[in-house]
Amino acid sequence: MIAVRNIRLCTKDCLCLYVCPTGATNTENGQIDASKCLDACRACVDACPSGAISKVPMNYPPQQAKQEGTLQALRALLDSKLAQERAADAMLAQAATPAAAQFAKAMKMSLRLVAEDLLRESGYMLPQGQPARDFLKNLPDQDQPGFPVDAAARLKELLP
Amino acid sequence: MSVYICSVCGYDYDEAAGDPRHGIAPGTRWEDLPEDWVCPVCGADKSMFERQGGVEAVPAPAPAAAPAAQAPANNDGDAKLMAVMASNLARGSIKQYREEMSGLFTRLADFFESRSVPEGDWQSARGLVDADIAGAYPAAFEAARAAKDRGALRALTWGEKVSKIQTNLMGRWLKEGDAAFEGSDLFVCDACGFIFVGNEAPEICPVCKVPRFKFNRVGRGA
Repeated sequence: MIAVRNIRLCTKDCLCLYVCPTGATNTENGQIDASKCLDACRACVDACPSGAISKVPMNYPPQQAKQEGTLQALRALLDSKLAQERAADAMLAQAATPAAAQFAKAMKMSLRLVAEDLLRESGYMLPQGQPARDFLKNLPDQDQPGFPVDAAARLKELLP
Repeated sequence: MSVYICSVCGYDYDEAAGDPRHGIAPGTRWEDLPEDWVCPVCGADKSMFERQGGVEAVPAPAPAAAPAAQAPANNDGDAKLMAVMASNLARGSIKQYREEMSGLFTRLADFFESRSVPEGDWQSARGLVDADIAGAYPAAFEAARAAKDRGALRALTWGEKVSKIQTNLMGRWLKEGDAAFEGSDLFVCDACGFIFVGNEAPEICPVCKVPRFKFNRVGRGA
């Protein structure tokens, strides 16, 4: 487990600096230094008066299994949302005015968020999950120009 | 006097009370509300309201066996699907404070995004959203309920409401073009995708209830 600080809740009471035995909480970027944080220690979490620090695990339980019928229904919706986003892309590319571009951007963001959520409920909640690992294993277009070979390789290292 | 409830955010329009802050006098019947009146909380239009105590909105017995509304055209070899796969995993990584992993997934997402082929327009997109609301969402709700899959039900609940706003806004855009959101910004909820039209994001998201700072502002111009 590593301690993480929600900077939006942090009120700079600095108790975490006083109680941390390794100095992990005292950093220049507001984030707790995970490499110094002690797995079993939660001194900062308990000391923080604003509830801004929590401990998060490095390993997660697998996502609950999904039933085939649900997966199919979510997939039908996902396909539709993908087509809708392609339409928003086309509208963005053709946008002749700032207003048209604004609307297309907002729609694209919105459609993407809904599509991502459908994927999360289809087994892709966790990057550590098997579906995500299979996705990495079977990436298409690896021979195409611009494919980020190093990024894909590093991800497979991180998610073996 | 009846009460009409917004199916997106739950606001109730009480005919007896009207909506005085928006110039609607107490006692104004639903039928007499101007057609361009929108929900004062979330911006949904009149078509998204249901009369309280009216016919229960039974999930339309979507032809379960019918294949999902025609698989929309896909000329991009699933590039868009891959892009969304990767952007979702980037999001999942950052929630775990895994910055490096998130950045790598984002690079994958950008690559596939660049290979995706834009296709369609607001008319076609709106047709698909409306078909989702009429058929694919009810069918998915049914499947998720049968499986007691509350996680899927959560995503469907948010997604259906956001879809209703999407079709409303596309309708306004198709009708009014550049004038549709004149003088307003658009704010997109970073958790559920709800789009708010106004000068400031709402205090909490009417759909998923996250606080204001979770909204991304999409302004006009550069």
